[in-house]
Amino acid sequence: MILPKFEYKKARTIEEALEIYSQYNGEAFYLAGGTDLVPLLKHRLFNPKVVIDIKGIEELKTITKKGGNLLVGPNATLYELKGTPEIQEKLPCLFQSLDATSCETLQMRGTIGGNIMQNTRCLQYNKSLEWRTARGFCYKMGGKTCNVVLNAKACYSNYCGDNAPSLMTVDAKARIVGPTGEKTIKVEKLFSGDGKEPFTVKPGEILKGIIIPLKETKGAYEKLTVRGSIDYPLVGVAVTIKDGSAKVGVTGIGPCPRVYELKEVNEKEINNIADKAYEDAKPVLNAVLTPAYRKKMVGVLIKRVFKRIEKGGSR
Amino acid sequence: MDDNLKIVGKRVVRSDSYAKVTGSALYTADLKLPGMLVAKVLRSPYPHAKIISIDVSGALKVPGVKAAVSGFDAYGVKWGVFRYTQDHAMLPTDKVRYIGEDVAAVAAVDEETALEGLSRIKVEYEPLDAVFDPVESMKDGAPQIHNEYKNNINIHVHIDVGEVDKAMAKAYLVREDTFKAAGEAYAMMEPYAVVASYANGYLDLWMPNAGPHVRAKALSNLLKIPLNRVRVRHINSGGAFGGRSEVAPGDLVASLLTIKSGRPVKLVLSREENATSSRQVHDIVATVKTGMKKDGTIVAKDYKVIYDGGAYSSTGPIATSIPFYVYEECYRFPNVRYNGYRVFTNKGIRGMYGCHGRAFLAGNEAQMDMMAKELGLDPVDVRLKNGLTAGEMTATKSKITSCGLKDTIIEASEKTNFKKRWKKKEKNRGIGMGCVAIMCGFPMGFRSGSSCYVKINDDGQVTLVTGLVDNGQGNESMVIQVASEVLGVPMEDINLVNADTEVTNLDPGAYSQAAAYVGANAVKAACENVRKRLISIASEKLGVPESDIDLKDRIAYSIKQPDKRMPISWIAREAFFRGEPIVATGSFFPDIDFEREWVTRPWGQMAGTFSFGTSVAEVEVDYETGKIIVPRFTAAHDCGRPINPMAVEGQMEGSIQQAGIATITEGNMWYRGFLLNPDLLEYKVPLACDMPEIDTIIVSSHDPKGPFGAKEGGLTVRMNAYSAIACAFTNATGILFEELPLTPDKVLNLLEKNKGVK
Amino acid sequence: MKTVKVTINVNNEKIKLQVKPYETLLETLRERLALTGAKEACSLGSCGSCTVLLNGTPVRSCLILTPEVDGASITTIEGLKEDGKLHPLQEAFMEKGAVQCGFCTSGMIMTAKGLLNRNKKPSRAEIIKSISSNICRCTGYKKIVEAVEEASKKMA
Ligand SMILES: Cc1cc2nc3c(=O)[nH]c(=O)nc-3n(C[C@H](O)[C@H](O)[C@H](O)COP(=O)(O)OP(=O)(O)OC[C@H]3O[C@@H](n4cnc5c(N)ncnc54)[C@H](O)[C@@H]3O)c2cc1C
Ligand code: FES
Ligand code: FES
Repeated sequence: MILPKFEYKKARTIEEALEIYSQYNGEAFYLAGGTDLVPLLKHRLFNPKVVIDIKGIEELKTITKKGGNLLVGPNATLYELKGTPEIQEKLPCLFQSLDATSCETLQMRGTIGGNIMQNTRCLQYNKSLEWRTARGFCYKMGGKTCNVVLNAKACYSNYCGDNAPSLMTVDAKARIVGPTGEKTIKVEKLFSGDGKEPFTVKPGEILKGIIIPLKETKGAYEKLTVRGSIDYPLVGVAVTIKDGSAKVGVTGIGPCPRVYELKEVNEKEINNIADKAYEDAKPVLNAVLTPAYRKKMVGVLIKRVFKRIEKGGSR
Repeated sequence: MDDNLKIVGKRVVRSDSYAKVTGSALYTADLKLPGMLVAKVLRSPYPHAKIISIDVSGALKVPGVKAAVSGFDAYGVKWGVFRYTQDHAMLPTDKVRYIGEDVAAVAAVDEETALEGLSRIKVEYEPLDAVFDPVESMKDGAPQIHNEYKNNINIHVHIDVGEVDKAMAKAYLVREDTFKAAGEAYAMMEPYAVVASYANGYLDLWMPNAGPHVRAKALSNLLKIPLNRVRVRHINSGGAFGGRSEVAPGDLVASLLTIKSGRPVKLVLSREENATSSRQVHDIVATVKTGMKKDGTIVAKDYKVIYDGGAYSSTGPIATSIPFYVYEECYRFPNVRYNGYRVFTNKGIRGMYGCHGRAFLAGNEAQMDMMAKELGLDPVDVRLKNGLTAGEMTATKSKITSCGLKDTIIEASEKTNFKKRWKKKEKNRGIGMGCVAIMCGFPMGFRSGSSCYVKINDDGQVTLVTGLVDNGQGNESMVIQVASEVLGVPMEDINLVNADTEVTNLDPGAYSQAAAYVGANAVKAACENVRKRLISIASEKLGVPESDIDLKDRIAYSIKQPDKRMPISWIAREAFFRGEPIVATGSFFPDIDFEREWVTRPWGQMAGTFSFGTSVAEVEVDYETGKIIVPRFTAAHDCGRPINPMAVEGQMEGSIQQAGIATITEGNMWYRGFLLNPDLLEYKVPLACDMPEIDTIIVSSHDPKGPFGAKEGGLTVRMNAYSAIACAFTNATGILFEELPLTPDKVLNLLEKNKGVK
Repeated sequence: MKTVKVTINVNNEKIKLQVKPYETLLETLRERLALTGAKEACSLGSCGSCTVLLNGTPVRSCLILTPEVDGASITTIEGLKEDGKLHPLQEAFMEKGAVQCGFCTSGMIMTAKGLLNRNKKPSRAEIIKSISSNICRCTGYKKIVEAVEEASKKMA
């Protein structure tokens, strides 16, 4: 399958990347590992004029420790991050979600920045142009209504990133830089909740770094898939316990990951959160298992992760 | 000679593997011919629509587009495997019947230009009501997909042996269940591709295929070109599994385009096109009614099976029958009635599949275990009691010549401690067994046999010429091994020229399990004829009787006086001197009842022989998530004599993946006529991490007529592995499956519906 | 559209090329360099049949733009032989019967090579995890796992 026509530009600095972006009036995509972007382009879901390769930007690559935080450049690959001792030792939930992402080969190419910023997915969206034309364009593609929830003027695609929920549970922040300056926001604030435009970042803005507090935590990640590798999560549940309180992140259902807080870790609280997350989850028939089942699994997996953590956390 | 084999029965390195591990093995998409164009196909966006007009002229105006065609450029000939199923125009001119159907095509200098060309083709359709469910499709008033087939019933196979109703009435225990299964994707790793090159009135074609000769014949008919001018060439094939048995629309498209443009044309389907527009596997609904005596003897079976055939007949009559036959070839059914319906729907075309029939077969076996449990019997005993033995006839009058069924049951159950574990099961764990038999070949008229031509070159090296084809299972290496055994020369001395219709002769192809039993038998016969000539000259030259001569390590020698010896190359040269080079042909034609017909006369000898197999699966069911884990899988297969045990194991292991683990992962998903998972991401081919610990047991049962006693290498596992999983699930949960695949959502649903069942 | 100049080291040979900016590495290898060992089975990163080594690390070449690898080293299955001798992985795949139709084989071997590059003595579990990046439709993977084990032993 060939790609549509576009130009290729390699940026050496963030400024250069922003510059190219504006030169092309925003008809551009940043390219990190390309493992999310290239399939989308092959399917003609986007037709940019230019693809801006940001892998050459040195400052986006580094992983450093600074003032009790781990500063992660977005271009760090998932595989590199997984091998970082601080993550292995202190952030078991993140370690496990990294390890559960796609497969080893893709982890070695896919970056954490691209992983967070990956587009939402749907069985009726991630298809060839021919397939989608025959079906009629859906809401996310610029059509009038959703093709799954017929007549709905909304997009029910799923955000399937494995690592954003873990990052949310460890209170990670994202540094965003754009034409108008720089800001630091909580990872959860990156998500708009709108399947059509899943991110709050403005056109051209670059995710510059991820700030991860390095505290001792307990945690684990549970991912529901049909196969043991390659598959995106049908439901993913991340839990991190820190100083007696806990955070729960849920991914794979609906256009954004959700995060929940438990002031205390006890059975009642866990059940409460499991019930709440179950209520919040609104899956539709756009992934390979039934919506009712996926909804149910949100609660089941939350309880299960806590049990696993109690038992030491490993699978 | 049989018991003193030098190479047959050994774990030899396959002859084709060097090219494959070095990347030099060529597949169709790798070919590049001078001036070659790239083809692209315009496909139907409608599940069912009348074609009002097709105008390809716009495409021809795009610079770089060299040809554009539609069905109006073809000859109006329709393809069908049988005379009574000729309903597939390949490029339709009347109406389209599924989304993704080939409508028009262009050939251009590159892919971008071809795509541009496609966008300029104008097709006017008039959409028609469509039907996607076979049960709906059979109802009066459903949209009629082909005029010739009332109620969209493509094929009805009706078999009625004995007195089913009477026997059922007298049975001690009767049970009726309905089982469903989603159709699978072949998901062969190589997407379909074809290269066609037409020059001077000759058409050359390369494509992955499971039978070059039938392919050439079909194209000769479709293009009205004499058969000897349609030459299907040899090329490596990246898997077939039954999905490459028939001529494909792409073959016609590429042929028309090369004829029009005068340049070679390559068409490579995308993964999505391969899934939507080549072949798919039947969805099945099987109702199984069984009557048993108190001791577990099956007294009657009554079946109604509905096969969702998609838009065209394809191998219809065969597909509608095979699941039944592989079952009746395994067990004794004194009274049996089978009503199989293949029904048209507005979905992709369904073909034969190596694992065809899982709803029916797994349903039968799982139901048998439920009944056994009710009668206080165990699955092993019930299977042994009802299993056929050598010398018996099947219900539809096929004689079983050799039979290792009993051995496979016993070996598989002993290896897994089956009886004990089935009875005293651990929590959430289960063990299950599936049995089946496979015909090695089936009636295909004069195409049922194979023949081979062998020559010894002047340096003693051997050239084998046979129509036999390899889709990855190792057929090529197998016949080289057989020739090496007979001729006493190492495998590397043998050059195989095969599956090239210009020089090879008819062969049944690689889709009826006939490669070993028929194809290799022909090779063996030809080599034996050569061997006779070699020995005759050697006897004369060495002055010892023919009976004292053997061939080994490129040498003919006296068995009694081993120092009397001469190289085979000398014999070859001597023969050239005499003006009688050493060449020979040999053929094999199986003992089949050729009056037998799938619909009109479904009885008589089906095949020369049958293979047998038993699979045992162990499962763990997670009651919270519905996930099934398969920690261990054991398969025992009676393949006659294994020619290359390593290759047979490989087939068995692949089958455990493709039929066994697929039971919990694989199934096509649809939204009306749209295939929702036409890819390798959402269609779940099991990965290495999903595989169980595997034990393969090869049971040898020398077949009297098979080459060195061989029958077939591993297909039984492909047709019983799902049964083993389904039975193990039943053992673990006390519940019969309703629908495959047993994905966690379906499992959890079943568990909840049957709460309290033990 | 303007082409992009790249220099890549392919199987130890420095090659200068003018490629389309939107050309994938898989296309460059197969169409421009006639290295057809890497296969296109899905084109979307789902199967691994197009796996080659990029500076020693396995990548799916169908997801990489050739301009991205300017200046890098690429190893394909065709470049695995050393001094005309098969690599132990290639030998082991043959001897263990890990090859059937062969369409996944080059991707599998390159994935395994990537593993052995970073882990000389992988455990069976590590091998399984690593090759779970790739789909094989024929073998059930057992003999592939055995072949990788065998090769790592031979190389030790
Ligand atoms: C077969 C397959 C299976 C997969 N399975 C999983 C899975 O299980 N779980 C999972 O989470 N993912 C999965 N993925 C998706 C993908 O591989 C990973 O998410 C990967 O981490 C994406 O990173 P990348 O660098 O390749 O992203 P890219 O494709 O390069 O980028 C993705 C998006 O992020 C944008 N982007 C990248 N970097 C920045 C930045 N610094 N600032 C602003 N925007 C940026 C890009 O413009 C693009 O829109 C799978 C992919 C494939 C092909
Ligand atoms: S072809 Fe590249 S991953 Fe499938
Ligand atoms: S050998 Fe055929 S896909 Fe692996």
